[in-house]
Amino acid sequence: MFGFPYETADWAVVDGAMFVGWGSALPGICTAIAAIICVGVLVYGQASETKKTARYTK
Amino acid sequence: MEEQIAELAAQVAALQSSAATTNTTFAETFYYLTIPLMIIIHAGFLAYEMGASRLKNVLSSGVKNILAFAFMIPTFYFFGWWVYWGFPTGLPGAPGPAGISGIEYANAIAWGWGESAQYMGPNIADQASGVFFGAFALFAATTASIMSGAVIERIQTVGFVILAVVLGSFAWVVAAAWGWHADGWLVTQWGVHDFGAAGLVHAVAGFFALGVLINLGPRIGKFNADGTANHIAGHNMPMTVVGLMLIIVGFWGFLMACVIVPGEAWSWFADKPSTIYGTPITLSALSFNILMGISGGIIGSWVLTRDPFWMMSGALAGIISVASGMDIYYPAMAFVIAFSAGIILKPCANFLENRGIDDAVGAVTVHGTIGLYGVILLGVFASGYPSLQGEGAPTISLMGQIVGAVVFFLLGFVPGYVVSLVLKMLGMLRIPEGAEIAGMDEVKVPTHGYPEGIPAPGVNLAPGE
Repeated sequence: MFGFPYETADWAVVDGAMFVGWGSALPGICTAIAAIICVGVLVYGQASETKKTARYTK
Repeated sequence: MEEQIAELAAQVAALQSSAATTNTTFAETFYYLTIPLMIIIHAGFLAYEMGASRLKNVLSSGVKNILAFAFMIPTFYFFGWWVYWGFPTGLPGAPGPAGISGIEYANAIAWGWGESAQYMGPNIADQASGVFFGAFALFAATTASIMSGAVIERIQTVGFVILAVVLGSFAWVVAAAWGWHADGWLVTQWGVHDFGAAGLVHAVAGFFALGVLINLGPRIGKFNADGTANHIAGHNMPMTVVGLMLIIVGFWGFLMACVIVPGEAWSWFADKPSTIYGTPITLSALSFNILMGISGGIIGSWVLTRDPFWMMSGALAGIISVASGMDIYYPAMAFVIAFSAGIILKPCANFLENRGIDDAVGAVTVHGTIGLYGVILLGVFASGYPSLQGEGAPTISLMGQIVGAVVFFLLGFVPGYVVSLVLKMLGMLRIPEGAEIAGMDEVKVPTHGYPEGIPAPGVNLAPGE
């Protein structure tokens, strides 16, 4: 998944996408992880801020 | 018929000439515009460290930062530019395979006297040297600014300027010659890849600052007798946070200046931009990965700190963590890496603080630790990528990136430690205790940062003063 996405390690063979993981499942996996991080951080943030503000609730 | 062909040929020649002129003007303008963008980095660092200073030191912090910029430009002109071209292959400065390095080559283009002076001043036939010099000089100024924030509120002005010159016009330049130049031995022998200078600018500057901090010592009141640390708040957190945002604005110019535009005699390609290594890149790649890096770093820092100072530092850390591979990372991968950098940022800063290092703005961690983290991670994810243009080019490897990281660490830490130790022995490193307690503005600056009504110098003392 990692490493050069073409068979020959030579830039002369590259005429399109050239990022790490191109042609494998890696881009999709990274996108899913990034999305999960965003949602997870918001859930965690909401929970921890609710806890902090709870002591000020009348 | 022959007349028509001749006319057509003349028109084609005129078009070619016009296109070449347009391309040359574009290339010159491209680098010219990176210079004011990188000056915004300096403006950001200025606001950042002035805001992080207590009221009694705010102007002297500014004086120090402004002077660093002013001394960086001429010293880089005097010898920094020469070092970059002279030593990519190491000592004794032999020419490299690309034919654009070595002492002889540097002597021919980078001295401000003799025949080489034609490339160091206005020259109608040379529309590249000045803008390249300017971009590199601003990289140098960035390294000095990185160190500047770490040492605020107790360093002597002249001692600091000497350190800034050693860092900006020598230490990072050697790192750039070895790890950035196409003839650099780290590149040709180890396949080191550091497109956005995470190691050769940020890590070198960060660990140079660490070497200085060890000899400089903490601010009075930073640590208690039992070794525990006190937080010394700056006088203006919003100014610091806005300064950090300005640094990020300037980073677009910094990274833009890392791109080699096409179509010129010195370009790698006629039809496409490249990295400084001659490997392909697009500005779109930068756009994707800078933005994802900023976001990942901010979010990661927010999880642990909820502190806008560390969140904006996290944005910097996010960019730096992916800078080495900004040309080849997938944006979502850049986001995940930057998120991890944001997460580890504050614990790494705490690690240093717990060992008695008073880094006032976290520069060692943000630039040094995260810079090396980024350099090494590229070896994990991008092993096998050709690190140079051309058949049989060396490839990126984890071992190569680790070697690069070690060299960058040493190129920063050793000169920082040694030169600051010499300055300490000469009594040129730290201001006297009384002056530090009174406030550096009171002692050194003949004006005031704020009008009456705001707490006077001496009131905003830290614990222990």
